[in-house]
Amino acid sequence: MGSYMMVTILDVVISGLLLGGIYAVTAVGLSLQYGVARVLNIAHGEFIMLGAFITYSLYTRFGINPLICFAICGPLVFAVGFILYRTLFTRLRMSSPTPGAFEGNSMLACFGLLFIIQNVAILIWGADIKGYTYLAFPVDLWGARFAANRLVTLGFALAICLVFYLFLANTRLGKAIRAAAQDPDTAGLMGVRINQVLALCFGFGALMAGLGGALISISYKIQPTMGLEYTMIALIVIVLGGLGSIPGSFVGGLVLGLVGSIVTHIEPGLSLVAYYVIFMLLLLIKPTGILGK
Amino acid sequence: MLQIHNINTFYGKAQALYDLSLSVEASEIVALVGSNGAGKTTLLKTLSGLLRPASGRVVFLEKRIDGRPSYAVVEAGISHIPEGRRLFPDMSVRENLEMGAYLQRAWKQKGESLEEIYRLLPVLKAREGQLAGTLSGGEQQMVALGRGLMSKPRLCMIDEPSSGLAPVMVDEIFHIIEGLRDQGIAIFLVEQNVRHTLEIADRAYVIENGRIILAGKSEQLLSEELIRKAYLGL
Ligand SMILES: Nc1ncnc2c1ncn2[C@@H]1O[C@H](COP(=O)(O)OP(=O)(O)OP(=O)(O)O)[C@@H](O)[C@H]1O
Ligand SMILES: [Mg+2]
Repeated sequence: MGSYMMVTILDVVISGLLLGGIYAVTAVGLSLQYGVARVLNIAHGEFIMLGAFITYSLYTRFGINPLICFAICGPLVFAVGFILYRTLFTRLRMSSPTPGAFEGNSMLACFGLLFIIQNVAILIWGADIKGYTYLAFPVDLWGARFAANRLVTLGFALAICLVFYLFLANTRLGKAIRAAAQDPDTAGLMGVRINQVLALCFGFGALMAGLGGALISISYKIQPTMGLEYTMIALIVIVLGGLGSIPGSFVGGLVLGLVGSIVTHIEPGLSLVAYYVIFMLLLLIKPTGILGK
Repeated sequence: MLQIHNINTFYGKAQALYDLSLSVEASEIVALVGSNGAGKTTLLKTLSGLLRPASGRVVFLEKRIDGRPSYAVVEAGISHIPEGRRLFPDMSVRENLEMGAYLQRAWKQKGESLEEIYRLLPVLKAREGQLAGTLSGGEQQMVALGRGLMSKPRLCMIDEPSSGLAPVMVDEIFHIIEGLRDQGIAIFLVEQNVRHTLEIADRAYVIENGRIILAGKSEQLLSEELIRKAYLGL
């Protein structure tokens, strides 16, 4: 009985971390786009969906290992994000009289993007639910059994966040991104080419979404309309973690994943509801987020 | 080394600078004094590319820099130490200083530059790992100064370094600024602390409502009737 209990807890925790790892990757991406590049990217989930479907196609059509697909779909969505910022959003930023106006205008532009990307995806892949099996064999962990693909997904999610964190903490460009997040004008005075760095941030945000999507496709079913749910979750996570805080998004993602897993264990189907409840409570009690000041 | 010719700058439709001209030569401290809202910060922002002048020319070391983005102005050798310090609050003192060396050529020598800054401002060495947002006002101004020097500028534009500081701290900051000039860095100093500023500056301009209304050598201005009445309260 005791060991059955342990196994259940382990199962809930690992599933929660898996979900949380994916939430963390995608939320870190949105946090870069919103916290630094000041674009509230409502189409974030569409980039996740693109990452998922590109991986799906590469694997089912050409038999390319999904883990290698990262190296293909990552740069691809990065390029899409970077070019979008350089062309569309830089222009919007220059023509918006205030930063507030830019946030509004860019969000409207993202709404447009959402519909375009989603419809193009439906044209290419159809509207049905898709999925594939990869590394589906079971692995024993302290008495609990998990599909290998879930453990691999979890490992990759954590590794992606760690690598990105080290990049932000230790490299010249990473420091420029953090400086631009705190005070773009002053970062410019230091010699940072601000337009370029903001575009890179948007690109990195898309990259994280794409990688998140690729990870999702390994363990979950996918659909061209799946994006909105992930956008909402990423939004909740970045508020949970404190707007603009990258470590906050990481922690917030893991926390929300664990909550989701616990709730699903008790009553499947209620996890989204639980997320909103947490979100509302947080807005009422501590709107600056768990790691916020 | 810096020549400003007939600059006009607007915020939307509101004009903030009118046909403003002045110059700064190598190894001198030139002060710009004036009351609140006179346009001092606006001028510095126009020079460092945070604002674009509607018309006029700015020439630095024989090169036009008006209307250029901020990074190009730093690259040209001008460092702008902004009003209110504007440190990166979530970065350590050391990281703030490193950001000052962001330019490619400065980044390569950031280790040596850091050592130099720590020699000049030893308090910073002790605070190296502390988050900049948690420093006292005086320490923050030291970091802002140090950060502005990390790019190895030829000209430093400093906006109200003494504001909000205790008198001892003000003395120290002014002493450091004099030292910079003696090292061959030209200084364009914006201040409201007129007496103290005129004591260390070689020349000064007085700005009012976006226009230069008076200019001259510091000693000369110190005895000027208008200055004595309006700014020194004599
Ligand atoms: N962002 C802005 N938008 C509109 N008007 C502004 C803005 N910033 C400054 N101004 C106006 O421009 C004029 C000059 O302001 P500026 O900040 O340059 O003055 P200052 O001489 O630096 O004053 P202080 O000594 O208080 O710092 C003021 O009338 C001010 O109201
Ligand atoms: Mg000012």
